[in-house]
Amino acid sequence: MKNDAVRQIYYYTALILLACISLAPIWVMIATSLKDEVTVQGATPLWFFFVPTLENYQTILFGRGKFDTYLMNSIIVAVSATFLTLSLGGFCAYALARNRFAGRHFLANATLLVRMVPPAVLAVPAFAFVTLSGIDNDLAALTFLYTAISLPFAIWLLFGFYKQIPIELEEAAVVDGATPLQVFFRVLMPLMTSGYAVAGIFTFRIAWNEFILALLLTGRNTRTLPVAAAGFLTEEGVEWGRIMAMGTLIVIPPLLFTFFAAKQIIAGMTAGAVKG
Amino acid sequence: MGAGVVLRDVVKAFGDVMVIPELNLSVDEGEFVVLVGPSGCGKSTTLRMVAGLEKVTEGSISIAGRDVTWERPKQRDIAMVFQSYALYPHMNVAGNMSFALRLAGVNKSEIQERVMRAAEMLELVPYLERKPRDLSGGQRQRVAMGRAVVRDAYCFLFDEPLSNLDAKLRASMRTELSLLHQKLARTMIYVTHDQIEAMTMADRIVIMKDGLVQQVGTPKDVYNEPVNTFVATFIGSPSMTLLDATFESEGDRVSVAGQGFKLPLPDRLRARANGAGDRKIKVGLRPEHFAGESLGDTFAPIDLTVKVSEYIGSSQFLAARVADADVIAAIEVGPEADLLSDGTYYFDTRRIYMFDQETGEAL
Repeated sequence: MKNDAVRQIYYYTALILLACISLAPIWVMIATSLKDEVTVQGATPLWFFFVPTLENYQTILFGRGKFDTYLMNSIIVAVSATFLTLSLGGFCAYALARNRFAGRHFLANATLLVRMVPPAVLAVPAFAFVTLSGIDNDLAALTFLYTAISLPFAIWLLFGFYKQIPIELEEAAVVDGATPLQVFFRVLMPLMTSGYAVAGIFTFRIAWNEFILALLLTGRNTRTLPVAAAGFLTEEGVEWGRIMAMGTLIVIPPLLFTFFAAKQIIAGMTAGAVKG
Repeated sequence: MGAGVVLRDVVKAFGDVMVIPELNLSVDEGEFVVLVGPSGCGKSTTLRMVAGLEKVTEGSISIAGRDVTWERPKQRDIAMVFQSYALYPHMNVAGNMSFALRLAGVNKSEIQERVMRAAEMLELVPYLERKPRDLSGGQRQRVAMGRAVVRDAYCFLFDEPLSNLDAKLRASMRTELSLLHQKLARTMIYVTHDQIEAMTMADRIVIMKDGLVQQVGTPKDVYNEPVNTFVATFIGSPSMTLLDATFESEGDRVSVAGQGFKLPLPDRLRARANGAGDRKIKVGLRPEHFAGESLGDTFAPIDLTVKVSEYIGSSQFLAARVADADVIAAIEVGPEADLLSDGTYYFDTRRIYMFDQETGEAL
């Protein structure tokens, strides 16, 4: 009994510490976004006790810049990249999982190698490619690039999920009279929701947060939110309050998306249990 | 082409690997046929070709008198039960059973009626709302059968449906399957590696090895008149013992003799021996035809060195030796008897099987 109690204390202390480490930067961001310029630049940083103001948010939303345009750009890019990645990645993963050919495991794992390349390395070739193709300053360029970056991971992840679904399920459906599309949508998809949700969260996050490529490949009207946030690094100084306000707003959509997708993960897990 | 299921000159190869060199098989309408054989003998492949899940390399398949060789599974009017059951995990029992009907666009009230009827037949009514993961192995098995029953297909295909169940459940499901066949009176093709399942349920058994049919016949036929040593040792449990032997004649008496034994042949078998000349043969002795004492004129003595005796109730299994050869004998001695040991046992010579030593063919 006593040992258990002691262990619980250690356990919770560790958890609280870890939570603090993770949450501290987020709190700094939110707190700073609510401070006026003077408080931010003050000699002693104030963690909790200051007079909050919405001035920064006001500036972002209704003042300088075109927040609504940037937000739309970000949403269009992230949603289309996610959609493209999941559909293309899903087909590839299915093909890899179901067709036996030499080197398919290598191929599935090799896709991961591509993921190890940092976006910065891609910056120059991507810039050249996009400019030569004439799609610079176009949201399509970012969408395609993010899809390309996320696809390997999505394929690898969905490959694992598809492999877990026994082929007999598909065969049973075929004998039951299902067409290939019916097999896919009525038997496979319900069992794949977790997989697609996880892949979706990762893809959406990358597309939403990515900065370097977006900075290089967007112009005045095609800026995404992270690039817009960087706009507050001006020659007159760094406007921390506004950057942090922007950051706070940027965090909200992926948070909502993740909550929604996480629900699907749980739904998928309970739908699963293929084996007895 | 007759009704039922007919496979004509069917060949199946996966790339360079020949799985079924040639197969001719005709299953009558309403018949329960069991394909049995060791793993890799091509029995499952055969079933999957009938189902349309595998394409034939050559030959043709007809179901209900219609050539379905190149038709898709849904056009063949078949239902199939898989070894893993292959229940849709995200649908409840009723959903699993009605899936095929829903795809076929059957109207709702009829679906409900047919699902109810099948559920009653298989005692699944209390579980209709449950998901497969909340069911026991036996219940899942019944849902898998229910899914086939609801279809009311012309032909039912079973791919080792009982092999994931424990022994007790398997025995009771065998009975249920036989009852199901009686009730539905549909053509059924059943694949198993378990000869007991084959013997207990089949109208006719098809014994396969290396993609070739060894023998087709009723359970009685294959037990009493196996065409070769493979069938002889495959059917029956424990397995038949094969001993090398030759014929010995003294006057008009003919015996089969080998190292450590000599068994006189009864009249019925003597004719076969005469036709065989002085060929080297294998003698097949089924364990259940040994006895602890002579039960009549047809019983001949044979000396056994007992290595292990296994008590199983009213009989005992002996793992024994005759000279240098291993023999299994099942001796009925009653449940009180002590474990048996070395000594003279008796064999019912009417039950001797004889095979050519080279080819393994029955004489």
